[in-house]
Parts: sequence; C-alpha cells; structure tokens
Amino acid sequence: MTAISVQGIRRNFGRFAALDGIDLDIRSGEFMALLGPSGSGKTTLLRILAGLDFADAGRVLFDGEDVSALPIAQRKVGFVFQHYALFRHMTVADNVAFGLTVRKRRDRPSKADIKARVQELLQLVQLNGLGDRYPAQLSGGQRQRVALARALAVEPRILLLDEPFGALDAKVRKDLRRWLRELHDRIGLTSIFVTHDQEEAIELADRVVVVNQGWIEQVATPDRLYAEPASAFVYDFVGESNRLPVTVAGGAVRFGDQRLAAEPGNVRDGPATLFFRPHEARIADTPDGIPATVTHVRPRGGLWRVEGVIEGAEAPLELDVMGDAPAAGARIMVKPTRYRLFG
Amino acid sequence: MSAAAITESGVARRILIGAALLFLLFFLLLPLLSVFAQALPAAQAGMARATASFGLGDVGTAIGQLAAGFRESLGPYLAAIENSDAKAAIHLTLLTAAISVPLNLVFGLAAAWAITKFDFPGKGILITLIDLPLSVSPVVAGLIYILMFGANGWIGPWLMEHDLQIVFAVPGIVLATTFVTFPFVARELIPLMTEQGRDDEEAAVSLGANGWQTFWHVTLPNVRWGLLYGVLLCNARAMGEFGAVSVVSGHIRGETNTMPLEVEILYNEYNFLAAFAVASLLAGLALVTLVIKSLLEWHYGHEGGAHR
Repeated sequence: MTAISVQGIRRNFGRFAALDGIDLDIRSGEFMALLGPSGSGKTTLLRILAGLDFADAGRVLFDGEDVSALPIAQRKVGFVFQHYALFRHMTVADNVAFGLTVRKRRDRPSKADIKARVQELLQLVQLNGLGDRYPAQLSGGQRQRVALARALAVEPRILLLDEPFGALDAKVRKDLRRWLRELHDRIGLTSIFVTHDQEEAIELADRVVVVNQGWIEQVATPDRLYAEPASAFVYDFVGESNRLPVTVAGGAVRFGDQRLAAEPGNVRDGPATLFFRPHEARIADTPDGIPATVTHVRPRGGLWRVEGVIEGAEAPLELDVMGDAPAAGARIMVKPTRYRLFG
Repeated sequence: MSAAAITESGVARRILIGAALLFLLFFLLLPLLSVFAQALPAAQAGMARATASFGLGDVGTAIGQLAAGFRESLGPYLAAIENSDAKAAIHLTLLTAAISVPLNLVFGLAAAWAITKFDFPGKGILITLIDLPLSVSPVVAGLIYILMFGANGWIGPWLMEHDLQIVFAVPGIVLATTFVTFPFVARELIPLMTEQGRDDEEAAVSLGANGWQTFWHVTLPNVRWGLLYGVLLCNARAMGEFGAVSVVSGHIRGETNTMPLEVEILYNEYNFLAAFAVASLLAGLALVTLVIKSLLEWHYGHEGGAHR
C-alpha cells in the first residue's frame, strides 16, 4: 500500500530550480533513502514532505489524503534534525515529553501517562536512566537517539530523518546505523532519510532514491542500483568506477583507434562513456585491451588495489587484482569483464 | 593551533600590557575615582591626613583620620542628594528607565525574532533601521521629536488642542530615551539567534507546539542570557542618556530634569560638590550594571555565555 505519494513537485529558490518535477511513491513500512550530492535537492524534498517547506507546484499525499497545504504540526510526521535540535535547557525526559506536554488540555495525557510513555521511549532507544541529564551531558550518538525518541513520542505516521548520522564519527555512525535498521524492522514505521553517503544508503534502505540537480535519476533496491544503474550519474555516484571516453560508430565501440570488445546496445552513434568497476576488469596478457601505466600498488584486504593512468585518455584507473600485482611503472593492458555504456 | 605560535616575545608583551594598563588608568580609572573623590572633599582631606599619619607609622590614628574624614564628608554629600531637585531628577531617571527598558525588551526581542526566524521582503531595511539610533547623533534624535510633537511640529497643534504635552514633559523624555536605546537588545540578540538557527523552532513546531509555545518554551530560554545582557546595557544607556533627552526635556528643574541634565546644571552653577555627588550616583549605577554583567558572564560562561 502506498503511504506517501509525491506528484510533480517543483520548488524554485529565486531562479534556481531546487526540485524540477519529482514523482515518487513510497510503500507503507518502507525504509527509504534519499541519496544525492549536496545541492541536489534531497533535503528540500524531505522538508516539503515534512511541511517545513512548501512546493511551488505538485502535491504530497499521505495515505491518499492531500496534505500539500497542511503545516507540519498537522501532518503527524516525526522529524529528526541533522544537528539533533534538542532543547538544551530541558532534561532528556522533558525533551522527549515535549510533543505531549504542548498538546491542548483535552488531548494531553495525564502527567503519569506522559512519564510512563517517556520511560518506554527511553527504553526503546536504550537510554533508560539518562532522563535527568541535559543534552550537553550526552555523546553525539546518545543525543541523536534522544532526538529520535522525541520524534516518536507524538506517534507520527511517518518518520523523516535529515542526514541522521552526518554529525557523528565513523565508529558511532556504523553502530547507530545498524541499530536504526533494527529499530525500523521492529516498529515498522514508514521512514525516509536523507544522506550523501552511498554506503549508508545501500546498507540501510529498502529502496534508494538517487537525486541529482532536482531530478530523480533512479529509484531502486540497493542491489539493483549497483548492478543496473540507470544513468552515468548513478553509476559514478554509487560505488567505485572507472570511466573511459569512447566513440560509438556503426555498431562498434572504439577507444581512440582501437575497437573494444563491447556492444553499443541502444547507445546512439557519437561520443559515449564506458564505465567499469575496479573489480570487473582483468589485466590481459595479450596486446589488445586498454593500455595503462601503473602508478601505485597498495594492499587492500586480500586484494591489491592497482592505481594507474589510462594512456590516450589521461584518465585515472583503479583495479582490484588478486594474486600477483604488477609493479609501479609497469605498462598493462586492461580488459573489462563487465561494463556499462552511456551515451 | 597552539597559543605559543601567536604569542609575542616577552618584551613586546610587557610593553603592550603596560600600555593597555596605563591607558585604562588615565582614561577610565582615575577620572572615575576623581568623581567619587570630588563628591567627598572632606574624605579627601582625611585621606591626606591619614596618609601622613600612616607615614609616621601610626596605623590607629591613620584609620581614625580616614573615618573622621568620611563622616565629615557624608553630611554635604547626603544633603546634595537629598535636595528636592536632585531627588526629582533621580526619580525621573528611574521612571524613564522603568518605561523605556521594558518597551525595548519587547521591541528588541520582536525585531530579532522576526529578522532571524523569518524571511520577508524589506528585511535588510529593517536591519539598517535598527542601527539608525546608533549612527544618528542623539541631538538629532531629540530634534526629530520636537519636529513631530513640538508646537510648530506635524501633530503639535492637534496635541495642544487636546491639551496633551509630549515635548518638554515626561512623555517626550521617555520617547527620546526609548529611541536612543532601541538597538541594544536587538543587536545583542540578532547574532545569537542567527547562530542558533531555526532548527530548535522547527523541531518544536514539528512536535505540535504553536507559535506562542515555541517562543515561550524554546526561543526565549535559548536567548535568556543574551537578552539579560542586552537589557542591562539598554538600562545603563537609558539612565545615562544626555543629548536626546536634553533637547526634548526643556530643563525644568524638579520636573523634567533627569540625572545627567541635573549634573550639567549643577556644574554650570559652579555647585561642584552637588554636581559630583549626583554624578557619583550615576557612575555607581553604571558600575553596578557592569558588575552584574561580569558576574553573569562568569557564572554562565559554560552555557554559551551572556555575551557571544
């Protein structure tokens, strides 16, 4: 069932189109990532979903109901800010209780009920016993979990997270990532988070929305995104890649004068770019292939990471090689085993 | 970066610190002390006699001389302050501050809130206008009110018809003081609130708080020390304002003279003792303000400070 439906959303900041026609359906209970470089419009989209910003055109539907004109307070969304936005003069418990204590008297739970709910939420985010502390006395990861508990206290129908791990150091980030995934699986709340880190999106999300320059480049599960990128941008942005400028003419793919063992597929004649992953190529012992000069060889896990320069294109090359690696300075021939061609 | 990298050599450091201390001594400390000393002339004499006694090694006599000097001085000093005109001036100054400071608290907070939390056309003009009282001469500020409310001003005749006195009366003094002290609260809050951003307010709204709840429970607590600091500065200026108030006051003794105006009149009458007595009170008020400010900064430094 569709929980959130975004239809033809446009948003301009002056003459700059931050969002240029976004259509997106999100299923109930899904954990969705909005992935893109900074300035791509992903945070603007999240804020429009929340009701913190409003689109110039288009509609947002929650469970089929048009909420485009509703302010955030009436949308029942939980929003977690990148820098937590905890109320620094309130204790952790008061922060979590805030959404309940500001309700009108007739909707407000009793003091005892609020206290019980806060306890329950602190337990959920594994912060029991820290209710009397102030935000300044907590670590970054703990603060983020307080922010999450506070957002969940109002029983939102969707949860929106803006760069939830952006301000944390690498180790905490990894732990919190796993923990958040488990929490989502437990409570099953439709959740959308914004990130610029493709690893984070791939590890956490059920589906990833790749946003670039106000456009959706692709919506796909993490494995599809990696295996079948829909555009040159997605191929480049998700995972590591080598790019080779080629020409397509008469059913042949050429790099300089050399014809490559690649099929043009539906790419039209003209200049094109051939992409391949560092582990999807081998060093050929025959003279045909892409010529390159090795500059560095470094150990990487059980493999060698070979870095070099492609001759004739002066483009960087990265290869993962098992077994014997060539020495720095050596001239090699590279043959991609899998590739994608974009016109 | 280590502090050592940007530290001057020992000699240069001593010269710089010495120059700063000398400057403070001659331009701030000595004039201030002389105000108090002038207000207590007999104490001065007592001090001289005490120093002499102390030089002879007679500590007991020295303390006695000093105390006697103060007792002798205190009489004329108190008399100068208890003079009915001086008392009226003190009363008027406190009244003016008591009206204009709360007004500027509200105006300043509202302006800072509007500027930092919302985007609207004309924001740049508003920011410039807030600085206007600081850039315009206080005399001009006073004249603006004469132009508006004076007998030949825009609405002066209408006011006269209805028997309403603005200039050369308390309302004019309050208006001029409010104008001159307007920027202090707003200018203190705008950088603080800009730095804090809108996230906290957005978080509060996302949790269902209405505008008033957001302001009362989130915005106000976040800026309370900056606000208090701005109010203290505003108060100090409100009590000390001379130029603008001088233009609109009319200098009616016992009625429209504030403390700074009273000091000037007393001084021009060669009544130095009384002038310095009232001046010392005014300086004392300023010192109390400074001490409270420093205490706040010291005490709440860890919370981001009263001033940042």
